[in-house]
Amino acid sequence: MKIIEIEDLSHRFADGTYGLKNINLTIEKGTFVVIAGQNGSGKTTLLRHLNGLLLPTTGKVRVAGISVPENLNSTRQMVGMVFQDADSQIVGETVSDDVAFGPENLCLGRGEVKRRVDLALDLVNLLDFKDQKPHLLSGGEKRRLAIAGILAMEPEVLVFDEPFASLDYPGIKQVLKQIISLHQAGHTILVAVHDLEKVIAHTDRLVIMNHGKLVKDGLPDQLIGELEAFGIRQPCAYRLGVEVQSWLN
Amino acid sequence: MAELTVFGFRQGTSFLHQLDVRFKLIFLVFISLASLKTQVAGLSLLTLILVVALIDVRVSLGSILRDLRYASVLLIFIFIARVLSTSGSAFVEFKIFSVSREGLYEGALVCWRLVIVIMAGLAFVLTTRPSEIKAAVEWILRPFKFVPAKRIATMMSLVVRFMPVIFQEAKETLDAQRARGVENRKNPVYRLVKLGIPILRRTFERADKLALAMEARCYSENRTDPRLSSGIKDWTALFFVVFLCLITII
Repeated sequence: MKIIEIEDLSHRFADGTYGLKNINLTIEKGTFVVIAGQNGSGKTTLLRHLNGLLLPTTGKVRVAGISVPENLNSTRQMVGMVFQDADSQIVGETVSDDVAFGPENLCLGRGEVKRRVDLALDLVNLLDFKDQKPHLLSGGEKRRLAIAGILAMEPEVLVFDEPFASLDYPGIKQVLKQIISLHQAGHTILVAVHDLEKVIAHTDRLVIMNHGKLVKDGLPDQLIGELEAFGIRQPCAYRLGVEVQSWLN
Repeated sequence: MAELTVFGFRQGTSFLHQLDVRFKLIFLVFISLASLKTQVAGLSLLTLILVVALIDVRVSLGSILRDLRYASVLLIFIFIARVLSTSGSAFVEFKIFSVSREGLYEGALVCWRLVIVIMAGLAFVLTTRPSEIKAAVEWILRPFKFVPAKRIATMMSLVVRFMPVIFQEAKETLDAQRARGVENRKNPVYRLVKLGIPILRRTFERADKLALAMEARCYSENRTDPRLSSGIKDWTALFFVVFLCLITII
């Protein structure tokens, strides 16, 4: 089943430059897709069209058959987005307040909000931190909190924009583990990165963007040799001629 | 790890944390009004009670003073303006300027009153979630049908939400400038301009990101608000605050 359908999508910014040009992309439910590209290639712009934070200048974006621009609220519930900068995503005054923010916006009853908050915090192993100030968490914990905030809205699709940016090694492992377990639980996962090293061992499909265009789309093994042409570094293991290993091993 | 300012809600179990937000809003108004009418004895009593309340909230008085040091610039300006504009028996004279004893007394009193309002506001902000403020303002404005209660309440809660963001940006920008030797520049106007513009730019950028994150999580005026409920504690506190305000005025 197709969960995301993008047809001829172009986005033009206010200054006249094009962020995206004629993107066509279809994503099947339950897949793990990595969108790679150098800085300014249009990854974030593309992801922001999936939940209507940006609207197409031309073209169509549909999530589970629903047109995004015409159904902003329901598509934002279906597509949860974890931003690059976890700090700027934190809205609540405590960890549980922050997770409750999304369900409260959906006008759910207090009992249901509490149930979802506890469940989401349990899934990301932050239940013990529920009364703590979010700003006191470590980088990896903050990123997991951002994930919990999205999970509490019970989305079908989870979109991660540079999820490993500015994280240390334990933080990267924590977040990667979380993303993989969410994929195993049946969520459709989209991850935008400029460095494939941490995530390539787990992805089903690799999409490469360059200058606002979708230039390559295929299996990671097929595209790994072409990465450098688009300003993306090949994983170390591939350069050394050995099999690419998971960062969790 | 981000260094935090004192301006923002802190989870806790203090007496103020346990009170209904509507009552706390009323206390804030009453104490502010009483401080305008009262003199030294009343101001001392109000200060003492607010200090005890802030200690109970478990916030360090030192960190409050440190974070409020920029407000002291405003207080100094107010003090000077009051001193120079109040007539009375001359204490110091210099060319056309004359400082009177009454001016000094009045200036100190006005600044003290402002400090009390700031302390009361701080005690309120430290013990109340922005979502509770929104719910309380909405409840208070409910009888006034012509007032867009939800919108005003949302704006108020967002102001409270963004306050720590602005202070944090100011702190980080100042530290970055110190690291590049801004303290060697003695011209205060130069320093103010060099500090003010990046703070404004960074604050707007950060606010933009936060607004985007809120939008991505379906933020709107209509949301599940906290349940407001009052009890015997709130009514007892109301009686105490009214009594306190009356005796400070009389």
